[in-house]
Amino acid sequence: MAAKFFYNEEALENLKIADPSILDSLIDHETHRENNLKKSRLKEDKRMSLHDAVAKYVDDGDVVADSGFSYVRTPLQAHFEIWRQGKKNLSYVGSPNTNQSFGIFMGNVTGSHNSYCGAEMRGTDRHFSRAVKSGKTKILSEWSHGSMALGFKAAQYGEPYVASHQLLGTDMVRYNPYVKEVKDPWTGKPVILIPALHPDVCIIHCQQADMYGNGKILGPAVNDIAVAFASRKVIITCEEVVPELSIRFDNSNTVIPFMIVDAVVELPFGCLPGSCPGYYYWSREWWEWCMRIATKDDVCLEDFMKNWVYSCKNQYDFVDRLAKDMGGMAYIDSLRRMQRAEEYLIEDTGVDFTYETVIPKWE
Amino acid sequence: MNTPAPANPFEQLAYNIALQIQDGMIVYVGTGLPMVGAMLAKKTHAPHITLVYESGGQDPWEGPMPWSVGGAATFRRAPMSMEMALSFAMAANGYVDISFQGAAQIDMYGNLNTHLIGGDFHNFKARLTGSGGGNDLSSLSETFVLVGLQDPSKFPAKLDFMTSPGFLTGGNSRMEAGLLGKGPQSVVTQIGVMDFEPESKRMRIKGLNPYCTTEIAQVCTGFELLVPEKVEEIPAPPADILEVLRTEVDPHKIFIEFPPRVK
Repeated sequence: MAAKFFYNEEALENLKIADPSILDSLIDHETHRENNLKKSRLKEDKRMSLHDAVAKYVDDGDVVADSGFSYVRTPLQAHFEIWRQGKKNLSYVGSPNTNQSFGIFMGNVTGSHNSYCGAEMRGTDRHFSRAVKSGKTKILSEWSHGSMALGFKAAQYGEPYVASHQLLGTDMVRYNPYVKEVKDPWTGKPVILIPALHPDVCIIHCQQADMYGNGKILGPAVNDIAVAFASRKVIITCEEVVPELSIRFDNSNTVIPFMIVDAVVELPFGCLPGSCPGYYYWSREWWEWCMRIATKDDVCLEDFMKNWVYSCKNQYDFVDRLAKDMGGMAYIDSLRRMQRAEEYLIEDTGVDFTYETVIPKWE
Repeated sequence: MNTPAPANPFEQLAYNIALQIQDGMIVYVGTGLPMVGAMLAKKTHAPHITLVYESGGQDPWEGPMPWSVGGAATFRRAPMSMEMALSFAMAANGYVDISFQGAAQIDMYGNLNTHLIGGDFHNFKARLTGSGGGNDLSSLSETFVLVGLQDPSKFPAKLDFMTSPGFLTGGNSRMEAGLLGKGPQSVVTQIGVMDFEPESKRMRIKGLNPYCTTEIAQVCTGFELLVPEKVEEIPAPPADILEVLRTEVDPHKIFIEFPPRVK
């Protein structure tokens, strides 16, 4: 199929992309606007179950945004639901986009607009490495965090592109078919043009939202404000659905307006095994199992994902399982206390942060 | 006070990183030893630095060391946090004095690879994380410091992939490419500290850690290191600074235990 837009030929060749039309939707402002013009204008109750929101708003072939910051306010339980429902041929985009790796493993994700896939000191992701090499996923574009962040910002502002000082002079421009190096018309110096980026669907976890979709984010918003405005379909998951009046009385931290939101899902513990500012800490043990032990080979990872994703029907199953392995309600409560203590919302002296390296109980 | 055990290589590295930071700077920190070095600087010679993080945390209240650049300690009682695009815009607009970068490979001009090792883009020994904020900080910060463990495979003559810019091909090439800032100021490793010769922009030994020699430095490097007439001798961290590092900065020895617990 002929591509709708002009891409960097060298990058297409370097990335071995035979059919560049697969790149179109991410930068297609025309369809973004058409889509938005059709959205309901009514302030109506948009609450639904996670199952229904994913079934209705995540389609095969979508470009899905990874939101939050890898394991900070990322609605991991919603991504688990996408994979459980067997959505196919998805691409993931996001800065970072650590969580694409598990969707790739489960066979749902076949394309990657990559910026960073890993978990910092928890280690590099050996599964992602195998998947890229074997072609299980295809890298469609390489980004830095900041350049992708600018692409989302351009989209939020309704601009076709922004000019930036990133990516210049490196191999990055040779492996990103979207960006273009041009001369700044005022200074004559080289700059990189970054097109507005429009994911098909994003799921943003808010600590609080009302039933219409007005959403509050506490702690770093990372790219989520821009991503919400940039995406065609917007699902809000939240720890609590609060009365509209509570948002009107205190509108601080309200960053998402109802009119861009398609669905509101009340999803307590929706970010576990990651953290949610104000609510709970990440499960360090889970991430260590995952990155250091389970990604070692496909058999381990299969076992791990079966246990934590496929055989859980919702987030409460996941929490029950985590509690069972880690010491019951005391562990779940320690996650709450550690998060709030590290943020200094509660007295932090006396809260135990010690951590023992995980010794695998099962391989 | 009893004489403390001598500094292990990670502790020396953290100390050398800390010395790269001047009081009053705005410091953009990543995870790992740079975080340890920055916290050590703040608790010793540079109490007026401001720490900022990629996830948007700004100037957090003093507390535990963050495990992750998105962790709660990065926005602990922070006056505000910034969206990611803005946190890098601060660097572009001249509000980031220094940042730190780790890498799988560093070349003689301070260019970095965090994409893959051993082969090319489609056929490699290991695919790594990708750029993250690395390319942004290298492109936009006023200056930056490269941090790593030095051996010939990590300091090769040619990178397997150039993720982030140092001085590109040396000389004026960085400026001509349109990049901002002065480029990398130094490279801090278990061997010592290297800087870049001002004309050619090639990596040059500046100072060596205790027990290191220029011969050891060269053996640990896959390209020829420039050697100045006078090589500084880097002192071991003084006892009081080691005490701060061990009891206040990283009391659980997450980053400074040697050999490391995990890996």
